[in-house]
Order: sequence, then C-alpha cells, then structure tokens
Amino acid sequence: MNRFRFQRSQLCIPYGLFLVCFVLAPLVVIIYYAFTNGEGKPTLENLTGFFSSPNTIGTLAYSLGIAVSTTCACLLLAYPIAYILARSKMKHKSVILMIFVMPMWINFTLRITALKEILTVIEGNLAYHPFLNTLIGMTYDFLPFMILPIYTTLLKLDNSLLEASADLGADTVQTFLKVTFPLSVPGIISGIVMVFLPSMTNYVVLDMLYNSTYIMGSLIGAYFSAYDWHNGSMIALILLVIILLFTLFTNRYADEDAGSSRGGVLGS
Amino acid sequence: MRKTKRMHSFAAAGIVVLCGMLGRTVYADEEPVVLRVCSWEEYIDLGEWDAEEAIELENGAVIFGEKPLYEDFEEWYKETYGREVRVEYSCFGTNEDLYNQLNMGDTYDLVCPSEYMIMKLIAEDRLVPYSDHFYDTQDVHNYYIRNVSPYIQKTLESNEIDGVYWSDYAAGYMWGVTGVLYNPALVTEEEAATWEIFGNPKFSRQITLKDNVRDSYFAALGILKADELTDEALRCSDTYHDQLADIMNDVRPETIDQAQELLNQLMDNVYSLETDSGKADMITGKIVANYQWSGDAVYAMDQADEDGFELRFAVPKESTNLWFDGWVMLKNGIRGDADKQHAAEAFVNYLSRTDSAVRNMYYIGYTSSIAGNAQDDTIYEYLKWCYGVDGEEEILEYPVGYFFSGDNSDAHYILQSTVSQMGRQLYSQYPPQDVIDRAAIMRYFDADANKAINQMWINVRCFDIDDIPMGVWMALLAALMFAISMGFRKSRRR
Repeated sequence: MNRFRFQRSQLCIPYGLFLVCFVLAPLVVIIYYAFTNGEGKPTLENLTGFFSSPNTIGTLAYSLGIAVSTTCACLLLAYPIAYILARSKMKHKSVILMIFVMPMWINFTLRITALKEILTVIEGNLAYHPFLNTLIGMTYDFLPFMILPIYTTLLKLDNSLLEASADLGADTVQTFLKVTFPLSVPGIISGIVMVFLPSMTNYVVLDMLYNSTYIMGSLIGAYFSAYDWHNGSMIALILLVIILLFTLFTNRYADEDAGSSRGGVLGS
Repeated sequence: MRKTKRMHSFAAAGIVVLCGMLGRTVYADEEPVVLRVCSWEEYIDLGEWDAEEAIELENGAVIFGEKPLYEDFEEWYKETYGREVRVEYSCFGTNEDLYNQLNMGDTYDLVCPSEYMIMKLIAEDRLVPYSDHFYDTQDVHNYYIRNVSPYIQKTLESNEIDGVYWSDYAAGYMWGVTGVLYNPALVTEEEAATWEIFGNPKFSRQITLKDNVRDSYFAALGILKADELTDEALRCSDTYHDQLADIMNDVRPETIDQAQELLNQLMDNVYSLETDSGKADMITGKIVANYQWSGDAVYAMDQADEDGFELRFAVPKESTNLWFDGWVMLKNGIRGDADKQHAAEAFVNYLSRTDSAVRNMYYIGYTSSIAGNAQDDTIYEYLKWCYGVDGEEEILEYPVGYFFSGDNSDAHYILQSTVSQMGRQLYSQYPPQDVIDRAAIMRYFDADANKAINQMWINVRCFDIDDIPMGVWMALLAALMFAISMGFRKSRRR
C-alpha cells in the first residue's frame, strides 16, 4: 500500500477545485447556452443575431465609449498626481497617498449616492447629461485603481537613471519623455486593465445616476430576466472574448515596452 | 409587491431565520414538517415593534408584533394541530428572479408571486390546487375563506387561464393599483390623472417611469388608446370590463411597434426609469411626479408628511393596472405530501387572520386582501384607526363596502374620514369605486408575445448606433490611423 506523501503541489488542490467549480463549470454552462436555442438544438443564431442587430452593436459601442472615456479621464487625472507624489521629497508621502485611496474604504454605492446629490446641486437636473454623469461617476469610482499602480511603478524608478539622463544633457522634459514615461508604462497598463474592464459592465453606476441606457452588463441582465438565457449567455461570452483579447493585447504591449523593468500587475 | 431589492431586509430576514433555526430544539419522536416559503423582500411583519407601537382598536383588539409572523405561526400550528412545523422563510427580488430560481432547481412549497406569474405557473401545470377543506367556511381555522375580501375573491373567481380559475390555485395576499404620485404644489390633479403626463413637455425631465417592461407598456397603452378608453360609449357598455381588459392586454405586433415608438419619445421627456429611488426623489424634489404603485405611494406620502411636505396620488382616468400577489403551492415542493400541504394551507390561513393582516399592513404599507367578516371587524376598525376623523375637519363619507361586503352602498362600511384624505393615503390604499371600475388586470402573455414585448423594451433601452455624432466617428478614425501609424513606425525601427 502506498503511503500518503505530502507534496508541495498538493497545496494547489483547493484552488484547483475552486477553479473547476466556480470558473470552469459555469463557463461550460455559458458556452452551452450561448450555442443552443430554446429547444436545446445547437445554433449560431445568437452569435449572428448579436452582430446583426443595431441595438446590441449600439450597446457594445456605448459600453466601449464609457470604458474608453473613463480610462482616459482616470489616466489624465491619475498620472500627474502619481508623478508628483512619487517624485516629491515629502516626508509623509504615504499619508497623502492614503487620502487619495481613502474613498475606496467607503462602500461605493454610498459614494455614488453622495456624488448624485453633489452633481444635482451643480447641474440642477441630472437627466440632461447622462453620459457625462456616468463618466464622472465611473472616474470617481475607479480613480484609485489607476493612481496606485502608476505611483508604485514611479516610486521604484531608479534615480540614477534620471541623473544619467541629466548628465547626458537632457532637460527635464526630455528626461520625462525618454526615461520616466516609458519606464512607467507597465504601471499605466495595469491601471488601464483595472479601470477599463470593470467600467464596461458596472451598470450600477448608470442605474444610480439615472442613466437608463443599457450597457453590456445590464443587457445581459435584461435577457436573463426575459428568460432568454441563450442570448444572455452569448453576450456574456462575447464580453469574455473582448476582455480576453484586451488582456492579451495589453500584456504583450507591456512585455514589449517594459523590457526588463518590473512593476504592474500583468507587466512582469 | 413590486419593490425590488432591499438587501438589508433580506439580510435581516436571513439572520432571523438562521437564529430561529439555531435556537430550535428538534424532538426526536416526531419529525417536524418543514415548510419552505419564498416571498418578496420586506413582505411580512418581522415583529420587534416598540412597546408604544401597539395598535389599540376600538373593538378591543390590540395588535402588536413581537416576533416574525412565521415564528408565531409555528407556535400557533403546534397549539392548534399538535404538530411541529418549521418554516424556512426566504426571499426573492422579482417575479422573473423567482421563476429563474424555480427553473434552476430551487424547491419551495409556498411562494407569493404576482398575478401574471401565477398565470404562467398555472399554465405550466406547476401548482397544487387548494384542498376543498381550505374553502370550508364552517372550520373556524379557515381564516382565509372566512376573511378574504369579496372583491378580491370575486376577481380571483372570474379570471381564468386555459379554463382554470385562479381561485383554485391562489390565495390573495396584497393588492393595489398603479398611478401617479405627484407634488400638488407644482402639478395639478388634472395633469397627474392621466398617463399622458409622461409625455407632457411641461414636466420635461421631471417625471419618472418604471424600470420594467410590463408597467411601462401599460402606461404606453394608456396613452395610445386614450380616446378609446375614455369614450363614454365604452364606459356605459355592458361588456365594459371585458373590453377594457382586452384593450389593456393588446399585444398585437403593430401595437407593440407603436408602443416602442411612443416609449422612445417618452424616454426623451422623462427624468429616468426607476424602481425604488422615485420615492426619495419625490421627497428631495428632484422630480415632481412619478409612476407609482399604490402601496409605495402610501409609503412616500407618509415619509413626506413627516417632513411637512405634501404628496398626492392620482389614478389615471384612462385605466389603471389592478395587481395582486397571491400564495400558491408548488407541485415539486409539496410532492403529494398531505402533511406539507396541510401546513402550507394553515400558513396561508394564519396570515389571513385579521390581526396578522393588520400587522402586515402596518409593517409593509400595502393593502391586504383580507377584509374580515361580520363577527370580526378588526380590519375596518384599523381603517378607522388610520383614517377616521379627528377634530372638526370637513367630513368625507368614503364608501369602502365594495371591499368589505361586496356592496358599496352598504351603510355599515361608509368611513367617516376627512376631505383631505381624497387623493391621499386612504384613496391609495382603498381606491374608490370609480377607480376600481376602470381597473384592468394585465395578464400573462404567451411565449411569443412575451418575447416580443421584452425585445421591444430592450430596443427602447439600447443605445442606437445612429445616435453617435459624426464628430465622434471622425475622432475614432483619426485615433485608429494614429495608432496604426505608430505601430508601423515602431516595427520599422526594430
């Protein structure tokens, strides 16, 4: 009889089980529903239906629009802050960083509710600018996820590189463009991944800020509550593929640009 | 009930159920009957009232909620029938969620969906009919059949699907109508008492519609068919009710197309769609009117009263949606188990006691289907307790006989209330006869029609790709070109 021998790889079993039960199995179910129709027969209709309907394509475009603008807004706001914070000689940098990250400690629905009231005071009537409100809400929500990785990457930046750049005659702008910025790309990439993906589906923000237009997340929900699991699953699957492509693309980009430098979630 | 998710109450109910289960002793000699009940969130009195909340009625009844009603039921069942029963109480968020849960294999014995979902479940042969004993008025413990409002019972008995009457399968729980909650300082009653308010440019971006297809479709039909619905000839016709029901359940493809076009226009006029936030937004003044269910309207008016601010409720002149939720027993839960069915029927009966009904009404704010009977006038006393005259205000004689005895001229059920209650809480909870006359039930639509209206709703809600301004396309094109040229330059450098 074989004696049970403990191996380090056995530590993976719990996670493996988790993966099979909660990731793999649901995925199989989604794929099954996505490629069958109401009678359980295999079909590609759900797929072709998605790409031939102006509504679903419109929803995809709208979601992408929100995700892209949120990511851009977050990047534009986060980079200068992260840069100033990381390069400053302040003693208590971490305290200031904490102030930026602090909103994350508060439940996000609560924050959006507060934001709703503030925006109402500023705009008067929220119904006139649904897209802008959504953009502000999402940016507010996801900004810390952009600041943190960029800040971490910039903090780790070797000062001697900047000194070398200066010694070789580059001015501050050139140093930033040729040295600092390229080296911070992995941080930017992981920030983008962390902001772009959730903002494509986070329909709670839209609901709470009175934007009644569907995005991908709410469209899936709408099909499911209409008992149409097949189209709902297909949209979920399409979203999954988009996310997968996006991640592959950013990963590759990060690898190419980062070279040997470390940092970022997916960059290393 | 049409409220959606209220997670805190769900959690509270969960904790209560959990604690209840932990603290219970299971007797070894007799296995308790387990009754799995699934209902809307915040849809049953959970007790824990403050001592001063006790309601003392003129007929001597004192109503007080100490423990959740389902726990009181367990005690009552043990005392009455000498048998242990354990209630596993859980909640669902929407009718569609419940249906999906059932399809995914959740088993319940007793659930409380809305009328159209009951129709669907009957049509799919998933329900167990109530036993003959349940309808025996001689048994003093048959509270449901002894106490149910004749109006509700008549409605259940006169509606059928596939030749099956609802009353065989469903016991009414809460009911109400739909209408418009409005701020009387800014909106007149005349403006509010029509579905056309949602297209009224005077209130552009200051009114909300409901975020679900059935309610929005009903409003759209109310506008599309306004001329037909308000025609005196129709109103006076002998078959008015049948015709009204047919009009408000019109799902012909061309009607659905018209509704889609209309809803698209309304979307440009309303503030937003909502399910739960409308009440708060009325109070904070973000909106001046909103589509509301009578029970939630009562809740909002109570809240506004506390803030010294008046809201009113109007029922559109065209037609209103009469809805109700009812208890139905599921085949795959009961599975022919006589003990279980007995416990399920007893549970419905216990909730139909007049004291339970008052507790629920006080806690939830919706109107119970229970009216009491000649011997037990607790419900009517509760109505007097809520809305009876105080002081020397102008008296309004408000007949509610249609609900309590089936005869609206019944002198015994003419409530002496105040004129200020017109268009207020009393009006919403027990709408007057003229509102009841123009109430229509929205049926369950067959699979094709259901698919068509759901698709219509998705079309209304989705972003139209043609709405993207030309500038955005140009910018996108420019960005794409830029990205490609950058990539090109890079690969050449290597």
